[in-house]
Amino acid sequence: MRFRPLMTLRLSAAPTQNLGIGPRGTRVTFPIIGGAFDGERLRGTVLPGGDDWAVTRLDGLIELDLRITLQTDDGALIHMTFEGLRDDGAPGAPYFRTLPRFETAEPKYAFLNRLLAVGTGEIRADGPVHLIEEIV
Amino acid sequence: MQSRFLMTLEVAVVGLQKIGAVPHGTRATAPIGGGHFEGPRLRGRVLPGGGDWTLLRGDGVLELDLRVTLETDDGALIHLASFGFRHGPPEVLAALGRGESVDPAAYYFRTTPRFETADPKYAFLNRLLAVSTGDRRAGGPIYTIDEIL
Repeated sequence: MRFRPLMTLRLSAAPTQNLGIGPRGTRVTFPIIGGAFDGERLRGTVLPGGDDWAVTRLDGLIELDLRITLQTDDGALIHMTFEGLRDDGAPGAPYFRTLPRFETAEPKYAFLNRLLAVGTGEIRADGPVHLIEEIV
Repeated sequence: MQSRFLMTLEVAVVGLQKIGAVPHGTRATAPIGGGHFEGPRLRGRVLPGGGDWTLLRGDGVLELDLRVTLETDDGALIHLASFGFRHGPPEVLAALGRGESVDPAAYYFRTTPRFETADPKYAFLNRLLAVSTGDRRAGGPIYTIDEIL
């Protein structure tokens, strides 16, 4: 399987919304208030207003469901979603992987509409950072 | 990104259902009649009854939404759901449409399988994300699935 770097995505989240224990597990929502992304083919900022909807499952893993809007430095808007899986108790190191997908109307970035991607996430002091690679 | 071979999965499509033009594109459902999977950590057969719900978008990208149940050779049931994309040059897609054998490197056919199982022996599948490359054959696709490490 071959991968090609797409971007590094840094997210800023507002205080979490702890919804408590629901039918699928413990639900926590992370409102996204900003951020930045940078790669060889695109760069820009994360618009405020998205969220990452997280559920801690009965087996302890966290399922993530993110929806945000990216704005490139030349003004294009890109709808981005990912589903993700976070296992802080994985042997060796935490397992934090995502499957980003993109939609845009801007022809310059239409290549994003046609690719699947994987991300490696990391929680840092100033928020999560995702290294996203295209599945070539 | 690092990945590790998980399995090959071959499914047989029976009686394609052409739903036709819908609000998001052209929809067709491919019922899965069976199949098999094989890897170092698991092997078995695909139960009949799943399907691949496909949508050909306006930009020529085929969106895939496969759901099947796997049964391992030791009796565990595994739910597999996989989102994917398939697209390529028109002449290549036309050849695939005629059921011809095409080099899978000539088009983009990638999916992201997810697994769910209640069997402790295979619980590692609940804890991983995966990616696959597809090879569309006349009888149905063959997927090479890698675990994302």
